[in-house]
Order: sequence, then structure tokens, then C-alpha cells
Amino acid sequence: MCPEIPTKKRNNLIQVTTFIAMTEQNKETNNEIRNTEIDNQLDAAGKSLSDALRISFFILKIFMIVLVIFFLASGFTVVRPDEKALVLRFGKIQGAGDERLLGPGLQWVYPYPIDRIVRIPVEKNVNLAINSFWYFESDQELESTTKRKVPPSEPLYPTRDGYCLTRSERQRAAIRGVDGSDYNIVHSKWQLTYQIVDPESFFKNVHVEDIEPGQDYFKVITKSINPLLKAVFDDAVVTAMVHYTIDEALEDKKDTIRNHVWKLMQQKLAYQLDSGIEVVSVQLNDMDPPRQVDPAFQRVISASNEKEESVSKAETEAANILNEAAGSIARQLHAALHDETMSEEEKELLWSHAAGAAQAKIAEARAYATKVVESAEANAEYLHKVLPEYRKWPELFIQTIHRETVVEVYDKAEEKVMVQPTEGPGGRREIRYKISGK
Amino acid sequence: MKNLTITIFIILIVVILGLYLASFQVRETESALVTRFGEPVRVYIDDPGLKFKWPRPIERLYKFDSRMRVLEANLGETTTKGAVPIIVNTYVVWKIADPLQFFNANERGSVTEAKRKLLSQISNTQNTVIGQHYFSEFVNSDPSKIIFEEIEGEMLDDLNTKQNVKEKYGIEIKTVGIKQLKISEDVSKAVFARMIADRERKTKETIAEGNAEATTITTDANSMRTELLAAAEARAKAIQAEGDAQAAKFYKLLEEDPGLAIFLQYIESLKKILEKNTVIVLSTDAYPLSILKDIPVIVPRDPNKEKK
Repeated sequence: MCPEIPTKKRNNLIQVTTFIAMTEQNKETNNEIRNTEIDNQLDAAGKSLSDALRISFFILKIFMIVLVIFFLASGFTVVRPDEKALVLRFGKIQGAGDERLLGPGLQWVYPYPIDRIVRIPVEKNVNLAINSFWYFESDQELESTTKRKVPPSEPLYPTRDGYCLTRSERQRAAIRGVDGSDYNIVHSKWQLTYQIVDPESFFKNVHVEDIEPGQDYFKVITKSINPLLKAVFDDAVVTAMVHYTIDEALEDKKDTIRNHVWKLMQQKLAYQLDSGIEVVSVQLNDMDPPRQVDPAFQRVISASNEKEESVSKAETEAANILNEAAGSIARQLHAALHDETMSEEEKELLWSHAAGAAQAKIAEARAYATKVVESAEANAEYLHKVLPEYRKWPELFIQTIHRETVVEVYDKAEEKVMVQPTEGPGGRREIRYKISGK
Repeated sequence: MKNLTITIFIILIVVILGLYLASFQVRETESALVTRFGEPVRVYIDDPGLKFKWPRPIERLYKFDSRMRVLEANLGETTTKGAVPIIVNTYVVWKIADPLQFFNANERGSVTEAKRKLLSQISNTQNTVIGQHYFSEFVNSDPSKIIFEEIEGEMLDDLNTKQNVKEKYGIEIKTVGIKQLKISEDVSKAVFARMIADRERKTKETIAEGNAEATTITTDANSMRTELLAAAEARAKAIQAEGDAQAAKFYKLLEEDPGLAIFLQYIESLKKILEKNTVIVLSTDAYPLSILKDIPVIVPRDPNKEKK
């Protein structure tokens, strides 16, 4: 009887023994001796069956020990820094309160089938782009840098093009006398950032595909929950958008809308579904009117520009008018006119800084006043001075002044004509001599 | 010794094998149903842990994933109250809530079957609930009249309470929502026409507003100028008046001899008036040209008289 140990098994045995030799150094020599013995005995004839059995059992024992070691070692798991882990003992989450969650590091749990460790990525932001409210674009359109011009006669296809409805302006509906169900269409592109904040709720409540060996569990989780997030997000966008007008959506209420969407989503994910997922942020990447009506929107924009232009022109003109009227402080001065709380001194001070026509008027008045006063004074002085003289020789004085005046006037005249009236038979005649001027 | 080891080993193996056949785990994420010869006997809901049963074929175990899943209905046209057609896409978040019901109602717990039934249920509910509301309750120029969320709530209520999907299919609906709210192609064209008209109006309004604003600005400026100039005029008048008043003080001094003062003033005026561009026509009869005609009679005065 010669129990042949199959080559395969023998190789295994040698591997196993080598392994043991590595871990248990004391036995190393013994093992090696035995190995040689085995070989020797195989070669030798008439080896005993009991010997073979003994060796087989021994090898089996070692094999078992190794298995147990492997088994126990399989309980080790590394929890990465951005993860938390739950331990399921026979399927039930272990621990109470905060102890239910294992933090990052090397963790040991009882091996399968007693315990199972479930790692869940937390504090890891995941972005999800939402394009379900954007119009359909062919590959060709996506590649081109300019928007395709679309005539208003081309409809939006509900199965292909995405969009939201927005409400119409309130006063507008009132004018038309309709029931207020007027609405507009707007396209938008969004991005959502979320993370798992409550691993336990997430694990218990949200369906995740089974992770096959070799798959990245994080990718599997992301892929599994995207449909849920997309659905809830789309719902939030549709619900929020009907509350705004297209002008609000395109211009000044973008942040309000983002917040509205965020609130609706958060409310659903946290309170209604207890999903353990939190929306970190909602970004609005694009908000456009339909391409079909784009030219009309552009016209409004250019009209606003025009409006701004004419207003600024008017403002310049107004500034000029006021500047001409009273200089740079014209507005202040005007306000002061109507300000009863202002003291006279302050007003006076303001007036003293006035320029332009107002200032000219006042200056003219000042000049007049000065002149009037001065000439009155001069006259008075003159009279006062000549009075003694006049009283002495009144007639001579008057005549002198008279003559001087006549001379002066004649002298200054540009032309002088002399007339000699003569009495003739034909009546009165005049002879005129011209004396050339200066 | 060796025999004992072997015995223990064998017993251990038998026990483990027995346990393996007779026990099962229910995870936190699952619910389970055990049937004995095809008859359901035990249900495990929210009851995770190690459980026991007789091995097959006596008892059989059915496990159900009790976590939430999403189910989307297809985009479908429906009509609101008042017969306005709209196109909506409804989704639900559902989970298996009652394993026994789920097992019985869906061909021994087939998820595919359950989804099929749920889909037709959703489309019923969607049509019923939306049919009870006017379109103006979905979109309205007055935001307080929009009850979009309430309509979604009604749909949830309809599924869970009225249709009682839990009793019917063993399913609980966690939430219902409208993912897309759309209109038909033809209506979209009409909306474009309206939007364009709206924009045209806005364009006109904007330009008119701009003009009005510009006019207001210049008008304001002009009226400000008028006011300012009037105020300046008033001040000027006041200054002139003050000057006149001051001058009047000096006129008092003239009262010493009003006759002379008036004469002097005439003279002054005359000089001023005839200062420039004057043509003077002189009569030879008049002074001083009269001297040209006649020598005046001048009688020297007796100087002695003077010295009197």
C-alpha cells in the first residue's frame, strides 16, 4: 500500500507548512526535518499507514488553525476618515446612542455570519447636475458655441424638452380680467450638492443596490440614490417655480428661488422621508427664456438700455440747467427754499455760494444798489459843497453851470445842423448849414 | 483523547449545520415572512436579529427589502377641472410596509408585479386628484392661490387612505410629487405668442417710462430753475430796495435847497442823455448861436458898485 498524496495537495501542504514556519519560528526546524522525512518515506518502500494518517491529521490541524486565523482576521475592517460604520449583529444594529457609529480607524467585529460592518460615506459632498428643465439640444447644437435660433412656430415637445412654468404678473392678469392662470415658460439648469449626515437613517430607510465584489461601494450608493434625489429635486423646482414670475426668475429673485427649492427639498428629505441625506447647496447655473421668444426678450433689454440712456441724458441736461441757474449748489439751495427749519444765516451762506443766473441777478442788484447809494451820496456832497457859492451868486452860478453843460453837450454831438429861419413872401423858410462833426 | 477531539469536532459541525438550516437573520433594512407548507405563519416587521424556523421544506422564508424606493410614472396627459389639458410626470417614494399583504397581493412578493400595480394606481390617483382642481390652482398670478403642494398632499392622501395601498398591496407611500408640469406642443406655441406679446408691451412700456422719466427730470430741473431764479429775483429786489432806501437818506440832505438840487439833477440827466450819437439842430435865434447874429448888449458894471 502506498498512499500517494496528490501533487496538488502536496504543494498545498508545503505552502501551509511554509506559512506556519514563517509565523511560528520555533517549529521551523522541526517542520523542515519532517518535510524531508515525508519525502524520504515516500521514496522508501513499506512505510506504515499509521504514519501517514498521523501526518495527515497533523496537517489538517494546521490547516484548521490557519482557517480560524483567517476567519478571525476577516473581522478587521478599515473605516476611512470620511466614513462612519454601523455594526449589524445577526442583522440588528449594535450599540446605543453614539456608540452605534464606529469612527475612522481599524475596527474589529465578529466575523460573518455573526457581525457585519456597514461603511457609509459621510461628510463627503456629492454633486448632481440636473438638466431636466433644459431644452433638448442635439449633439451638433451642443458643440456649437452659439445658440440656435428657433422660430416661435417650433413648439416644445413635452417628452423631449424640459422647462418650468412660472406665474404671470399680478397686475397684468388683473388688466386682462382672466382667472390668473396665465403663465410663462422658462428653462433652467441646476446643480445639487448633498451629503449623508445621518448614517443610520440613511442605512435603514434608503434603498441601495447590493454591492457586488469589486464594485466601489461609494459609486454604488451614489448611483442608487440619484433617482430619489433627482425626483425630489425636480419636484421642488417645479413646485417653487410656479410661485415666481419670469422676470423674477430671470433677474432679481434667483437667490430667493434657490432658497425656496432648497427648503422644499430639505423638508422632504429630512422630515417626510427621514433619509439621512442633507442638501448642502442648490446652485442655479442657468435660467433662460425659451429660444423661441429670445429675440423679444432681447428687445426688452435693449429698451431698458435705451431708457437708461435717455434718463442719464436728461439727468445731464437737468444738471446743466441747474448749474446755469445757480451753480453747483443749485439743488441744495432749492431744498433750502422749502426748508423752514433752516436758519437765515445758513440760507445766507448758501446764497453766497450761488453761481449762474441767480448769482448774476443778485450781483446786478448789488451793483445797482451801490451805484444808487453812491450817486445819491455824491449828489448830496456836491450840493453841500456848492451851496455856499450858490447862495452868494445864485444867477451866475446857475448860468455857469448851464453854459458849461451846453458846451459840453454841443461838443460831444456827432453832427450839428444850424438853422436860420427867415421871413419871406412864401412864408417861413429855413436855411440849414451843416457843420461837420468830429 | 484523539477520539474525543474528533467527536467534539463532529458535534460542532452538526450543530453549526443545524443552526445554518434552522436560523436566519433579518436585517434592519428588511422585513420577513415565514410560510409553513405555503401558509404564512410569521411576519417580522421592524424586528431585526437572529430568528429560527424549521428547515425547508417545512418552513420557507421570504425576505423583503423594506427601504424606500422611487417609482416614476410615465409622462402622461391629464386634464384639470375646467378641462385644461396638462402633462405631468408623477413619482412616488414607496416601501414594503406589510410583508404578508405584499406577498399575497403581488404573486408571492414579486416587486416587478407590485410596481406594475402601483403604476396603474398612481395614474388613477393622479387623474382623479388633478381632475378636482382648476389649472389656476397650479399656476396663478396670485401666489396665494397656488396650492401645488396641497395637491401633492391630496395625492398622497388618496393613495394611502382612500385607495389604502397598504391593505391592498402591502405598500406604504412615503411621498408623492409632480416632477414635471408641462403643456402640449400646440399650447406651447400659444404661450410663446403670448410671451412675445407680453415682451412687446414691456418694450413699449420701458421706452415710454424712460421718456416720461427723462421728461420729469428735465421738467423738475426747469421748475427748480424757475423757483431759484424767482428767489434770486426777490433777493435782488430786496437788495435794490435797500440801496434805494440808503440813497433816500442822502436825498434828505438835498432838502437844504430842493430847487438847486432839482436843477442839478436835470443837468446831470441832460449830459447823460446827449452823451452819444447826437445830432443837434441849432436855431441861430437861440443861445448861444444868437451871438452870431447880434452882438449882445453888455454894460460893464461899475466896479465901484461892487465895492460898496
